Order: sequence, then structure tokens, then C-alpha cells
Amino acid sequence: MRKRKTKADDPMARAVMLICSSVCVLGIALIFIFIIRESLPAFRELGLANLFGSQWSPNVSEPVAGKYGMLAFINGTVLTTLGGLLLGAPLGICTAIFLDQVAPRWAAKVIHRGIELLAGIPSVVIGWFGLTLLVPFLAKVSGTGGDGILAASIVLGIMTLPTITFLSLEALRSLPREYREASLALGATRWQTIRRVLVPAARRGILVSVILGMGRAIGETMAVQMVIGNARQAAWGPFQRTSTLPSRIITDMGESSGLFRSALFAQGLVLLVLAMLLILAIRLVNREKESAR
Amino acid sequence: MNPKTADRLASAVLWMLGGITLAALIFVVAQILIRGLATALNPSFFLGRPRAFQEGGGVLPMLVSSIYLAVWTLVIALPVSLGAAIYLAEFARTGSKAAAAVRFCADSLASLPSIVFGLFGMTFFVIYLRWGTCLLAGACTLALLNLPVLMRSAEESMRAVPATYREASLGLGAGRWRTVRQVVIPSAMPGILAGTVLTVGRILGESASLIFVMMLVTRKTPSFNPLSNAAPLASNIWYTQTEAIIPDYRRVVDGGAALLLLLVLAVNLAARSLGKAYSRRKGVKTANA
Amino acid sequence: MPELEHKMHIGDLSLFYDGFKALEDINMKVYCRRITALIGPSGCGKSSLLRCLNRMNDLVEGARVEGRIELDGEDIYAVGCDLTHLRRRVGMVFQKPNPFPMSIFDNVAYGPRLEGRKGRGDLEEIVERSLRRAALWDEVKDKLKQSALALSGGQQQRLCIARVLAVQPEVILLDEPCSALDPISTQRIEDLLAELKDSYTIVIVTHNMQQAARVSDFTAFLTIENQGEPGRLVEYGETEEIFTRPRDPRTENYITGRFG
Repeated sequence: MRKRKTKADDPMARAVMLICSSVCVLGIALIFIFIIRESLPAFRELGLANLFGSQWSPNVSEPVAGKYGMLAFINGTVLTTLGGLLLGAPLGICTAIFLDQVAPRWAAKVIHRGIELLAGIPSVVIGWFGLTLLVPFLAKVSGTGGDGILAASIVLGIMTLPTITFLSLEALRSLPREYREASLALGATRWQTIRRVLVPAARRGILVSVILGMGRAIGETMAVQMVIGNARQAAWGPFQRTSTLPSRIITDMGESSGLFRSALFAQGLVLLVLAMLLILAIRLVNREKESAR
Repeated sequence: MNPKTADRLASAVLWMLGGITLAALIFVVAQILIRGLATALNPSFFLGRPRAFQEGGGVLPMLVSSIYLAVWTLVIALPVSLGAAIYLAEFARTGSKAAAAVRFCADSLASLPSIVFGLFGMTFFVIYLRWGTCLLAGACTLALLNLPVLMRSAEESMRAVPATYREASLGLGAGRWRTVRQVVIPSAMPGILAGTVLTVGRILGESASLIFVMMLVTRKTPSFNPLSNAAPLASNIWYTQTEAIIPDYRRVVDGGAALLLLLVLAVNLAARSLGKAYSRRKGVKTANA
Repeated sequence: MPELEHKMHIGDLSLFYDGFKALEDINMKVYCRRITALIGPSGCGKSSLLRCLNRMNDLVEGARVEGRIELDGEDIYAVGCDLTHLRRRVGMVFQKPNPFPMSIFDNVAYGPRLEGRKGRGDLEEIVERSLRRAALWDEVKDKLKQSALALSGGQQQRLCIARVLAVQPEVILLDEPCSALDPISTQRIEDLLAELKDSYTIVIVTHNMQQAARVSDFTAFLTIENQGEPGRLVEYGETEEIFTRPRDPRTENYITGRFG
């Protein structure tokens, strides 16, 4: 006589699954808890004015000591991210359009594989490439040291390109084929179809791809650290050295302790919050997409 | 502008941009390989020991550490990701709030910068749990980092298993859990494997999250003790070029970068052929079904 | 065959997809301001033939055409034929309604905007005219800015017809336009076609024989002998003749429902 299995068959298996699933929830909770915990001393003792100020001089031996302002690095993050997106987003979106609408099958396959390969190159390797090839080239061209905001932007452009290209491509590929047919049957050229029907129809997916690229650029550490010069002040010019939040953390963490370390964790918290804001932004965009249907 | 002219111009520009993208990639890869391939493929390099202040060192301990790290990470992450994926794919009711919460947390984890994981790993595993910097702490950190990716690939592979398989098994009287264990998971295995292999590539390239979690001291000899310190290859590359204390550090970093690139390439190719074998198998299965 | 002007002349047309012959030696004339129906069993190539008339088959990789198709005496497959101009003269309505994800107004204005028309008043006039002609104006005149995807299936199809009318074609091709619609919407579209016949030359593919009998002036019956063989034109003539006194036994078999 076969035993009749009820819905909760094998409750132990179900328990195991729930435990595994809660690792995600636990993980994110722990990350928040511990990073906040470590950065609390900095917030408590230094205050927001210091932490978000523009002076970074944590070492006691310096004239103006005790300043842990991360504003310069926020500035660096913003500028390099924008720079990276300015380079990577148009190129990525156009490459996606090219792959979906223009490229013959053989070319599309080659380029697609190529970008997959690019996506897999480790950050340190791109950083090394930047340091040994890009920076000397920029130095020759500009007569400066070569490192700085432009070098970091180029590196970030290279690294965000695969994300933006693949996600935009997915957005275009998910459009019904009928749009293209209907447009061509009305006498549109291929470019008119792309410009007037396909890209507008895929705009939300393309936007999401850019936001995700932005997330990638903000969090990128090693490659940026190797080419940005790691100066402590804010900078604006393309060949001026500065730091981003991640690059600062990784440069200084080794020698830090106490309040200094806590201030670095505060920077990490800022990164964490930025990442969560981007996730929320993406959810908003997607929710809008659903209701627009 | 005449639409026909605009069309031709746009096509030309798009071709050019596609070409630029490809050229950029080829350029980067070629440069890395040109500079480092000879070193990377030299056995005295990838099988050799590093030298502190002399020339001619190799990267064997780092290489071993990288691979060992990948093994430990997967040992920790695979069961957890599989369990969570089974829950999401097979047992969670649609619209379940718990499942939505798990998904949201997984998506969030997937979007966090890797350095945040490094900070967390340091403060939690190394300091709070008092493990000290060690390979195990690194493996746990990377397990958390790669959990979302593994979960997603496992879930997708399981969802791709045709409903008819499940129905057949349930119809024969097998319970849900048994069905999952004996029917769904084996069918989804190629996809799960492909996702795993892809994750190995990511682990090999990871450095930002490990710098504070595993000591960067260059080991002399390979170690298989998970509680020991052992800088993996990617982190070591960065450390070597930062410190630059060996006279031929450029050669070592060039070689290390090329070696890393080759490894990642090989891993991705393996993942791709696994994926192809999967879809071929799937195609045959549906034809017979 | 009566002495009518013919708008299009299909001469010795054969169609190949990657070497596979889909259509063989089609010869027929499409007469001005009449409705011509293409009927036949599934797979006989009637949709493929329709798509040759505005060269939409060019979109299929590996498609190749032998023979001629003349529009007002000029071969549309001649080298140097302007495709965009051709497709404005020969418009197409598809089987599944496919409005763009834009407003109703923007859908109908799409074609005219391609031609360079920009003026607000100009476009509004064209949109109204086309929607009226497609018997849709009264239903949508207050919601032109709303998304076209919010319309019902039948309304979407009439919108697609309005969209085609806005470019002022000479020929309208319809590929099973009612197969995705309910009977009432189908009836409305059939009535619409009867009205449009006065100004346009219409070719319609349909698998519904009753529809062909109701709506068309001329009917062409295509079929394939066996699997793997190309589609051939078996019989072509005035609809009444084809349906009451078919000359070919294959036509008769199909019409009386013995196969297909």
C-alpha cells in the first residue's frame, strides 16, 4: 500500500530549503548591520560635517589632522562614473542596435562572443592594462602624468560596456518582430524603424541597462585604483589625480585603525546606500513598465 | 536629410561602432597576451615559487590558492544556492511573500559592489568570528558574493525542465521532494554545472573583496590548509604591482595577468561547451518526448 | 476574363527559400479596384505569394525570386526599384494586429511622418481622414492620445488599416486579417473592404472560403500536390465562377470541403 504523501512531504527537506533561502536574507541583513556597526564610531565622534567635508587628512602627523571628509572621493566617484557612462553607454547601446538589426549573423556571433570575453576579464587585469598602456599613452598625448579622471573613465567605459550592451540587446530582442515588419511595410527605412519604433519601445530596458552599468562603475575598485592616481583632493580636470570611494578604501584600509578605519567603513556605507538606491530605481522603472502595458 | 541617405549613414556608423567595440576588446586581450604569454606558459613561472627580492620568481602558491579558494567557495555556496533555488523554483507558491523577499535580497546582493563584501568579510569573519585572515574567510565571503548568480542559474535550469517530467513522476506516486531529487535536478544538472563553471571564472578574477579577508603576504609554498593565509593570484597581482619590491615585478605581473586571462578564458569556454551540450541534450529530449 | 485594367501582373513567378522551391510559375493579373482573394490549403504558399507583391519576402534570409511582378507596368523586382516607395504604394495589413506601442494618433501619423510631414494641422487632418475611412473614427476620436494597445482586437486591426490608408497606397494587401478576430469584428472588416474597393486595389489571403465568396470579385486557388512540392496556381477567375462552376477537380474538391 503506497503511503499517501501530503503537501508537507518530507518536512525536513522543506526546512533545509527554507534555511538555504534565508541565507540570502540573513546575508544582506548582516552586511548592513556590520557595516553600520563599524561606521558608527565615525558618525558619532566625527559628525556629518567632518565626514562629508572636503578635507581628508587622517594621519596625526599632518598639520590639519583629524579630518575624514569623503566629499572629494564622492566627487571622484561621480565624475568617473559619469565619464565611464559617457563612453560606455552610447557605444554599448549602439553596439546592441548593431547586433540586433544590422549585423549579419557571422559578425553578430563574433562580436557577441568577444564582448562576453571582455566581460570576463578580471578587474586587476584591466587595471594593469590601463596602467601599463593607457596611462603612458595619455601621458604622451597630454604631457601630464597620464593617470587621473580620464584614465579611470576610459577603464570604467571598457568595464561597463558588456553590461550595457547585453542588457540593451536583450531589451531589443524582446520586442515583438511584428513592430519591425509593420514599420518596413509602411515604407520606412531600417534606420527610421530603429529610431522611431524599436528604440522608443525598448527604452525602459535600455535605461535599466544604463542604471546597472552605473552600479557597476560606482563599485569598481581595482581597475580604477590602478589608474586614478589616488590623490586625496578633489579634482575636475581629465588629467588630474583623485580618488573614488572604493579606491580610497582599498588604498588606506591596510594602514588604518580606530577612527580612521571607522571613517573608511562610513565610505563603504555610502557605497552600500548608493547601490540600494540604484536597485530601487530599477524597480521603479520596471514597475512603470508593467503599468504602461 | 533624405531618409535613404540617413539610413546608409546610420548603417555605416553602426558598423563602425560595432567594429570599434570588437577592436577594443581584441586590443586589450592581445596586449595582455603579448606581454605576458611567454612568461605565463613557462613552467618555471606557473610551477615556480615566488622569490622575495630576486628575479625569476613564480606564482605556484598563488595559483594553488586561487584554485583551492574556488573549490572551497563552491563547496559552501553550491548546496546553499541549490537549496534556495529548489525552494524558489519548485516549492514556493506564486505570489508568496517569503519568496519575493528572498528574491529581493538575492537581487540586492547581486548588485552590491564587491568591496562592500570585502569590508563585511573582514569585519564579520575575520574579526567578529575571530577566524583571522584565512582562506576559509575568503571562501565564505565569495560564497555570499556569488550566491545570487548560482541561485539564478540553478533556478532557471530547473524551470526549464519540462512540466511533463514532473507530472510523470508525481503521477507514479512519487512525492514532490522525491520528484525534485530524482527527476528535476538531474535534468537541470547541465545548466547548473554551466553556471557553476562560470562562477569559477568570477572567483578566479576576484580581488577587491579578498584583500582584507586574506592576507596578502606572498606565501613561499602552496598550502592546503583552509585556515592559513594565502593570497590568490588576482590579489597577488595587484599587491605585487603596488609594492614593486621584486626587481622583475613587471615580468611577474605581466605573466600573472596573462595566466589569469588564460584561465578565465578556458573556464568560459568550458562553460560554453557545457551549455551547448545542455541545449543539444534538451533538444533531443523534447524531440523524443 | 472581362476587359479590365490590371494593376499588377504576376509573370512566371517562382519563389525559393534557401533553395527550396515554395512557389512555381505563378501567372495572374490583379485587377484595378477589385478584391482578389487567394485561397488554398495550409502551406500552399498564398501568404508567400502575397508577400512577394510588396517585397516583404526580402526580409527572409535566403529568399529568392524568379520571374516578374509588374506594378503599373514596371517590374518591382528590377534592379534599382525603390523599396520604400513600393511599400507605400502597396500597403500591407497583417494577420495579427500589430499596432506600435504608441498612441492611436502616432500610429496613424507614422507613415505620413516618414514622408516628412510635420505640421500639426496637416497630420490631424490625415489622421482623421484615415480613421474615418477605416470606420474607426467615431470610436476613438476622443482618445487619440491613448495607447493603441488598449484597443480591442477588432479595433486594433482597423487601426492597422487606417495606418496603411494614411500613406495613400494604391494597393492594399491583407494577410488573413480576420483570423485572429471574433465574428462581429470580422463582419465589420469585410464591410469595410467592400467600401474601400472603390478606391483601392485589394488582395486578400484567406483560409475562410465563405469569406472569399462573400467579399471578393476574383479568386485564385493555389495548392501543393504533395509534401515538399512548390505551390502552384490551379485556377483563377471571377469568384462566382470559381465557386459555382470550378473547372479543375482540385478546386472543386477544396471548395466542397473534401480536403484542405
